[in-house]
Amino acid sequence: MRKILSTIALCAVVATSSMAAYPSKTIKLIVPSKAGGSTDTTARLFIDTAKKYWEDADFIVVNKPGAGGLIGFSYEQRQKADGYTIGLMFTPQFVAHVVSKKAKYTLDSFNVIGNIAQDPGIVVVNSASSIKTLDDLVKTAKAKKITAAVNGIGSDDFLAAKQFEEKTGVNFNLLPTKGSTEQKTAILGNHVEVAFMNLSQMLSNHNAGKVRIIAVLDNKRADVAKDIPTSVEQNYNVLMTATRGIIIRKEVKKEIADKISDLYNKVVNDAGFQEKAAKSFIFLNPRPGAEYTEYLKALQADTQKVFDKTPW
Amino acid sequence: MILLDALQAVLAFDVLFAIFIGTVSGIIIGGMPGLTATMAVALLIPITFSFTPLIGLAIMGGVYAGAMYGGSIPAILLSTPGTPAAAATALEGYPLTKQGKGGMALKVSVISSFVGGTFSVIVLLAIAPILAEFALKFGPPEYFLLAIMGLTGVISVASGGLTRGIISGLIGLIIALIGTDPMTGMVRYDFGIIDLYEGVSFMPALIGMFSITQMLALTGEKSIASGDIDLTTIKREKMPKGMWPFIGLGTGTGTVVGIIPGEGATIAAFMSYNMAKAKSKVKNLFGKGNPEGIAAAEAGNNACVGGSLVPLLTLGVPGNTVSAALMGGLMIQGLIPGPELFTTHGVITYGFILSLFIANIVFLVVGLFFAPYFAKISQIPTSILVAAISVFAIIGSYSMNNSLFDVWLMLIFAFAGYFLNKLNFSLSAIILGMILGPIAENGFTQALTISEGDSSIFFESAVAKILWMIIIVLLIQPLFAHFKDRREKAKAMRNE
Repeated sequence: MRKILSTIALCAVVATSSMAAYPSKTIKLIVPSKAGGSTDTTARLFIDTAKKYWEDADFIVVNKPGAGGLIGFSYEQRQKADGYTIGLMFTPQFVAHVVSKKAKYTLDSFNVIGNIAQDPGIVVVNSASSIKTLDDLVKTAKAKKITAAVNGIGSDDFLAAKQFEEKTGVNFNLLPTKGSTEQKTAILGNHVEVAFMNLSQMLSNHNAGKVRIIAVLDNKRADVAKDIPTSVEQNYNVLMTATRGIIIRKEVKKEIADKISDLYNKVVNDAGFQEKAAKSFIFLNPRPGAEYTEYLKALQADTQKVFDKTPW
Repeated sequence: MILLDALQAVLAFDVLFAIFIGTVSGIIIGGMPGLTATMAVALLIPITFSFTPLIGLAIMGGVYAGAMYGGSIPAILLSTPGTPAAAATALEGYPLTKQGKGGMALKVSVISSFVGGTFSVIVLLAIAPILAEFALKFGPPEYFLLAIMGLTGVISVASGGLTRGIISGLIGLIIALIGTDPMTGMVRYDFGIIDLYEGVSFMPALIGMFSITQMLALTGEKSIASGDIDLTTIKREKMPKGMWPFIGLGTGTGTVVGIIPGEGATIAAFMSYNMAKAKSKVKNLFGKGNPEGIAAAEAGNNACVGGSLVPLLTLGVPGNTVSAALMGGLMIQGLIPGPELFTTHGVITYGFILSLFIANIVFLVVGLFFAPYFAKISQIPTSILVAAISVFAIIGSYSMNNSLFDVWLMLIFAFAGYFLNKLNFSLSAIILGMILGPIAENGFTQALTISEGDSSIFFESAVAKILWMIIIVLLIQPLFAHFKDRREKAKAMRNE
């Protein structure tokens, strides 16, 4: 009896100490894109703030860029489920890879901790363009074929353009670019008529009067751009938002997952984090795990519909 | 008046110190293959938040300028370009090191880098908004032509004859086909490996073909340079005569290419090198250690620094990956690229530009002072050197994308490169094909998408017409020389 008791006690001690020990090693935050971009900055600001709450913990950012995030997402899935790897992901690519069957993971492979930021989709034209509203855009596109720049096949821009085509019956001459810089140049230099992009990428040019964002593809106007009407206001039910959240492997123990969720909550509610994010044009939109998971499921279903019609 | 205020702000001790630290760490980062200025700037972004804006930007600008120069040091001494942009420098620098003239090569490199860097900053300071308009004139057809213009360089970098040069260039273009098709999203030749979705990574290929092949060739030697190198002799060694036209050529090319968003320092360096060879009176010395090539290439890649900031600061369009990271650094300080940057935030913006001048001076002084000591590397016994460089090559290949796959890639390229080199194929031409292939393809398909299949789009704009003219000029001269050479050889054969 005594032996059993002491064994139990020992187990308890070991269990608590190993739990209390987390985090005892460096925690890796996997960023599925290049150093220096907006996703990367989100990650770096996140760990900068996280250090404040977990003083003893060490964090590093590990960049695993390429293949529209697929290399990074897959890498996250292959890591040990010990809680020392936290993954950043971005939508809609995260679910688009599942839909296009390029990914080896599914949504069920991960425990979704929560969303950090969002970047609503926009429709943007050069400020000299005669297109001022989405109605103008449809009218022009029906009169002659116009070119629309999107950032790569299967990206959020691409899906938004496809949605717009489907809901309005227009047919764009779609121009896939490599990165938003090419889209910016194409719009600023009048090489294309319209581009589907994200708000953060064009907001400063819009404010400087060089380009005109004719719609934000969202239900409500963005806090940072109250002057820009939404697509819904203009009676076009085309919605697209890029989001950026945090995931860990499904198999990570609940105690550790809870700690990570707690850290996530503290960071996204931190005033310093919010200030730095705002200055970097990172629009925070904290959504806890359960709610965000529902969003991802719905997004995957929507993406599947587009894919079934026009696979890529 | 803003300019004077800015100057005063820059000359504060803490700002000067920040520039110094930034530039020196930039040289080190640039000198290590695998560490890039982009990475360094990204790492600095959250840290600079606690500094005043000018100090934060001065450090980042220093890193950018320093790294661009730093890449040339291992390129010259070890044929291991620290940055892809220094690849062209290695073509002439390393042969000079083997001849025991590494110190002179380093001197040419640092002076050319300084001139190129400084001139482009003057341009940035003086006429940035006008140039931004020029940058926007470049659409897909112009990018395609620019890539073709770069590909004419295959002829001048090829050392083993025209036919082998063209085959090498085509090998590069074929390798560039691997990866996702930009138009359809289909993945080509990926063999089911997701690491290939984005194409073959460039840095591992470069390290494998440039660095490891040379290290293999070294195994029979005692050290890179034979004979003793005396420090005082190197210190007294003068800059070779006649470099200025080539520095000027590189500076001009680099500034223009830098301004065009999306083009990079690597392309600028190769284009400058190509033009230098077209212009040179001693063409046959190219590939065997001609300082003219170093002068043009180094002036070219450093001139990209100022150039790439033109579209960034005026339009918020970053010219390359480093300036994309710099944009993050600007924004976090509340500096949104656009006209306001030059008015409301004028002191900081002009201060930042002025700090780049000082960064150039810092690397000039540091570079000139340390050149003789660096040159001593060529005397290290190969038994130590080859092992050390191989370790760096592996770390460098891994760290670009944190990918073990890239290490294997580097070894495959090293192995293939060794044999291709033995068979007189040009590794530089392969590299050139790899860099320019995707740009040419993207420009070509995008242009035809916009025009809906009408190829007259490639001849429409004024810029396109000028580019066609340059392409023709660059092609005629070497082709003419090639056929003349063959005729003379045939004549000589007949006479025998």
